[in-house]
Amino acid sequence: MTSTASSRSSRVGATTLLTIVILALAWFVGFASRLFAIVRFESIIHEFDPWFNYRATHHMVQHGFYKFLNWFDERAWYPLGRIVGGTVYPGLMVTSGLIHWILDSLNFHVHIREVCVFLAPTFSGLTAIATYFLTKELWSPGAGLFAACFIAISPGYTSRSVAGSYDNEGIAIFALQFTYFLWVKSLKTGSIMWASMCALSYFYMVSAWGGYVFIINLIPLHALALIIMGRYSSRLFVSYTSFYCLATILSMQVPFVGFQPVRTSEHMPAFGVFGILQIVALMHYARNRITRQQFMTLFVGGLTILGGLAIVVYFALVWGGYVAPFSGRFYSLWDTGYAKIHIPIIASVSEHQPTTWVSFFFDLHITAAVFPVGLWYCIKQVNDERVFIILYAVSAVYFAGVMVRLMLTLTPAVCVLAGIGFSYTFEKYLKDEETKERASSTASNAKDEKLYDKAAKSVKSKNTSDGEEAQVSSNVRTIIAIILVIFLLMFVVHATYVTSNAYSHPSVVLQSSTQNGDRIIMDDFREAYHWLRENTPEDARVMSWWDYGYQIAGMANRTTLVDNNTWNNSHIALVGKAMSSNESAAYEIMTELDVDYILVIFGGVIGYSGDDINKFLWMVRIAQGEHPKDIREENYFTASGEYSTGAGASETMLNCLMYKMSYYRFGETRVGYNHQNGYDRTRGYEIGKKDITLEYIEEAYTTENWLVRIYKRKKLPNRPVVKETTIPIKGKKVSQGKNKKGVIRSAKA
Amino acid sequence: MRTLVPFLLVLLAVYRSAAQQTLDEKVQNLIDLTSRTSVVKFNMDKWKNLVRMQPRNYSMVVMFTALSPGVNCPICKPAYEEFMIVANSHRYTSSESDRRKVFFGIVDYEDAPQIFQQMNLNTAPILYHFGQKHQGSKKKPEQMDFQRQGFDADAIGRFVADQTEVHIRVIRPPNYTAPVVIALFVSLLLGMLYLKRNSLDFLLNRTMWGCVCLAITFIFMSGQMWNHIRGPPFMINNPQTKEPSFIHGSTQFQLIAETYIVAVLYGLIALGFIFVNEAADMTKDKKKKEKNPNSILSLISVPANTLAIIGLVFICIFFSFLLSVFRSKYRGYPYSFLFA
Repeated sequence: MTSTASSRSSRVGATTLLTIVILALAWFVGFASRLFAIVRFESIIHEFDPWFNYRATHHMVQHGFYKFLNWFDERAWYPLGRIVGGTVYPGLMVTSGLIHWILDSLNFHVHIREVCVFLAPTFSGLTAIATYFLTKELWSPGAGLFAACFIAISPGYTSRSVAGSYDNEGIAIFALQFTYFLWVKSLKTGSIMWASMCALSYFYMVSAWGGYVFIINLIPLHALALIIMGRYSSRLFVSYTSFYCLATILSMQVPFVGFQPVRTSEHMPAFGVFGILQIVALMHYARNRITRQQFMTLFVGGLTILGGLAIVVYFALVWGGYVAPFSGRFYSLWDTGYAKIHIPIIASVSEHQPTTWVSFFFDLHITAAVFPVGLWYCIKQVNDERVFIILYAVSAVYFAGVMVRLMLTLTPAVCVLAGIGFSYTFEKYLKDEETKERASSTASNAKDEKLYDKAAKSVKSKNTSDGEEAQVSSNVRTIIAIILVIFLLMFVVHATYVTSNAYSHPSVVLQSSTQNGDRIIMDDFREAYHWLRENTPEDARVMSWWDYGYQIAGMANRTTLVDNNTWNNSHIALVGKAMSSNESAAYEIMTELDVDYILVIFGGVIGYSGDDINKFLWMVRIAQGEHPKDIREENYFTASGEYSTGAGASETMLNCLMYKMSYYRFGETRVGYNHQNGYDRTRGYEIGKKDITLEYIEEAYTTENWLVRIYKRKKLPNRPVVKETTIPIKGKKVSQGKNKKGVIRSAKA
Repeated sequence: MRTLVPFLLVLLAVYRSAAQQTLDEKVQNLIDLTSRTSVVKFNMDKWKNLVRMQPRNYSMVVMFTALSPGVNCPICKPAYEEFMIVANSHRYTSSESDRRKVFFGIVDYEDAPQIFQQMNLNTAPILYHFGQKHQGSKKKPEQMDFQRQGFDADAIGRFVADQTEVHIRVIRPPNYTAPVVIALFVSLLLGMLYLKRNSLDFLLNRTMWGCVCLAITFIFMSGQMWNHIRGPPFMINNPQTKEPSFIHGSTQFQLIAETYIVAVLYGLIALGFIFVNEAADMTKDKKKKEKNPNSILSLISVPANTLAIIGLVFICIFFSFLLSVFRSKYRGYPYSFLFA
């Protein structure tokens, strides 16, 4: 790097300076590349879940930490309410609350929302640094710098940590990497201090994300693999036992986790490895003290009995209900057909789908191709800590293949190994011969000894003495180095493109462009929520599908019936039933639930495909699951068995509340010059019924692009008005218009 | 002759009445038929008698299928198996009264093509439910929609429950093939280990472990898990031009052929990188050759320069090829390398 003649201390100084500068730049680039959404729109919270996290953080900052832990949220799941303190991972809220408090005491008065918006980008820098340290322990500082730069911009990680996506994963990946670094460090040194730090970092991870289960299974797996490979050492014993004891106790301090670490099967492997480690330690102790014959009888006999006993005890505990068996989510990772049959709610979420090769390439680009190379050299030059990264990579690549969202846990492993792969090559190709010769001949080898691993060292010392014809000529070296740099640049360009185009949409604000390329921003969601906030009574109850629960609570500050924390399926089914029944049946349900306003998302005017009509089948299915007598899925299909709201739509479909609310007065509008009245842009056809009359609800507000429509439930009339022609019979209420005939006919049959 | 005619008439009448069984006899007949096998195999006679003839106070669930190997019907066999699971579950687990309410039957095209003609069917398999029918009511049989509901045993059970309100607890006979295959494989492995117990060095062979790990990563990164779960076709033919296409033009879908291509490309790029690195290690290898004959490249004596360039060409060509495959799926992706 710098002149070889300079003294050792200045070289170290220069290297340190360079390292710090590179890491600072990685932090800055990682931070800056996540700001696309803010530059284009504004500083707002994205998506759905982050709105809840933001609301909880806001509550904590206002009322204090202990109030937050005991918070009973009566604004959600009306009329049930939700115990928030005991059902969230509080790490995220505590982190941003702490940052807010520090800034406040330094007299930087920032709104908590800004802290929340910028938290994930900030933590991406910390992740880069943690990755640097991890890779440094595993391979070399040079590889560490590569890995830090990769993780700072890798789209697989950016996807969950752009500014405004205020979610657990944003800080959890930092905690993950830092815990791994401390574990590797404690394994290398065998010191209790590092192991305790590792346990503390693990505690932070537990408080931040449910993915901590991955750590508590990976570290024992590493320990087990080391034992099997015959690499047991007292360092392993010290670090694992102190880590396990402390980590278990600490993780139980998180209210949401509670006694799970001793009562669920997911945590049992860690305990089993703890037991095995004690036996192995005892074996090593006894081997030098008793005869070989005694040793064999003692351990072969003792181990079989102990092993059998442990298995029997485990199954007895599971059978007796003291230890919970493995959860469905866990099974679905191994038996890929499991979720589809047994847990449809897991199977239905798009994040839980298997991963196509396109998303692997999309999220990892060149690093996906280089990371096997790093893996190869880690295996070739294996040592205790490299076993860890090998296990991590192989298990993570499996999990990422099963579920799209677990791509997030693969990305750090890929970045570390790709960093190793690139630095391995660059170490050989960037140094020109003279430097190397001098380096090997001078005493300043010390620096290299400190920085590079055995392999790299031996290359250099041998290279110089050998014949020239076996060398790679300097021209070829230059070409290879340049081309590899080009690949790295391509990765940067790709990461920027992906971040900008795929991962920076707030989804609260929609954007489209005109034919001239002008940008149109559609702010209907916030318009509607603001309307609710300003024009409805403080305690109004708003019914909507669960997707919008967090946003209504966060932005409109009104009570919701169901939200994205889908803990109560029957309540969701009740809302689904109300949406899919006819008006009078829905009115009964809504009266029971005290609903004041109903909110639907309708994309037919602008062609927004994520609206409620497209989600409607899920509402019907979930409602049918709980109320099979009243709701039947096949009633909502056309005669030919298609799902449609167009001309062939079934009578049930045309009379259900969702259809009426979405298309009320839509038949009078025209979305374009060349379209008929009532042409639905999202579905691409004309709607089935245009003269919709509402009897029990009235339109309260519709936003500019019709994206959000809000209806008000009419109060019960003082005395029922008997109509002249028809006398409504309970349960078979006859509404007006064409549907009259249909209802009667179906009643007869 | 004169006496013979009334006699024949009487005989005919007796025969007719015998054919026109009473309800109880019909049910008894069906129970007899299903005492040994759980489905009734229909021929024209039984069909007329037990299904078409009125009145009926029981439901018939009938699968129309073509099981003979001459007929090209790939899904008939699995559908038939699922149907048999339901029928067997019904036979063994349902209550006596339920068993008198619902019967399962099957019509094979080979046995009774007339029934197919009569029902005006020209596709198979089809599942019909013939509900309870009393004299006079002309109700069309209900058909189960295999397209939407699928034909696995649970779906058929649900269909039956919907139609007849007889709930059948579907009990699938446990599938022993997977455990048996695994057990065989493990025992084979252990046996091989036992036979080679004197030279277990290969377990310490890092090249082997490296290849295993790399194979795992290539398998999963090329989306084989997706293939396993979704079961896409190997390749598809364009309906217009009849040209086979190996790459599906959407990011949400993939064909088996393209995942193989991608896995091989990843492998070749990694190989290219390894070549480049090994080229730089060449000199070391030469000296170490005697000591360490394990290295992959020590056998082939390629000059370091050539090897480095081969590696580089591998990386460039195959990575740009990978990029272009990606571009063909991800429309509007602007960057490419070497070729479009």
